[in-house]
Amino acid sequence: METKHINKFKWFWAWNDEKEEAWLEKMAGEGWHLGGLGLPGNYSFESGKPRKDVYRLDYIIDQKDYQNYLQLFNDAGWEHIGKMAGWQYFRKPYQGDLVPEIYTDNASKAQKYQRLLIFLIILLPVLFISVTRPVSAGSSLFDFYSILKTIMGFFLIFYAYSMLRIFLRIKQLLKK
Amino acid sequence: MAQAKDPKKFLPLTEATSYILLALDEPLHGYGVMQKIDRLSEGTVSVGPGTLYGAFTTLERDGLITKVGEEERRKIFRLTPLGRQVLQAQIHRLGILIRQAQTTGE
Repeated sequence: METKHINKFKWFWAWNDEKEEAWLEKMAGEGWHLGGLGLPGNYSFESGKPRKDVYRLDYIIDQKDYQNYLQLFNDAGWEHIGKMAGWQYFRKPYQGDLVPEIYTDNASKAQKYQRLLIFLIILLPVLFISVTRPVSAGSSLFDFYSILKTIMGFFLIFYAYSMLRIFLRIKQLLKK
Repeated sequence: MAQAKDPKKFLPLTEATSYILLALDEPLHGYGVMQKIDRLSEGTVSVGPGTLYGAFTTLERDGLITKVGEEERRKIFRLTPLGRQVLQAQIHRLGILIRQAQTTGE
């Protein structure tokens, strides 16, 4: 049977990566296996026999140790499919009823979201400057900048909301 | 050399961290640690690679474990004297808990 390829665009919120994992698992169950990742939101799938695979996403910022990191996951039976921004995509077949996990306790799982939050905090000043930068008076592009600033303003609100959701996710994990 | 860090500051350890320190009584790489924990805990505790990688980073930074070698992209770690003290302090705490549970919880 010839392998077919499809590309899909789908958007998931950063605090909701478990939904993304479930979607990839469902696709695999229907015979579409994640083959690679492109720009944020872009997934490519390859056709094959339906499989019961678990998909797990990890988030890392510091990649100086990347080869050691991948080797450890590989030794533990996790196949690294690719990365999208700092997100790492792994898969492993189900072992009977047992669901394999890359994070086996809530304390370490919370650290994943803490890294994500740190990354967002680091980027915040850049975003903030782009919104508050004064518009040069008399410019013919005045309207263009106003629109751009409005868009960035909305983005900033959404950004703050994401940070709040990730923060709540961390709190929830640490309370368990 | 005077020990700058108080072992008690690291307590309590999570169950996974306790087992990681216990396993690193001998030099091991990550997958070796996972297998050993599986055996030591009689299958009650399993440590995933995400949890283990994070623990290695934190434990090395805090000086509880140290890298003693590397083989084919696998870092080999071992317990430091401070790591040993922390593990002993944790076991002491748990020992009290178990003793109390056995005398009162029948």
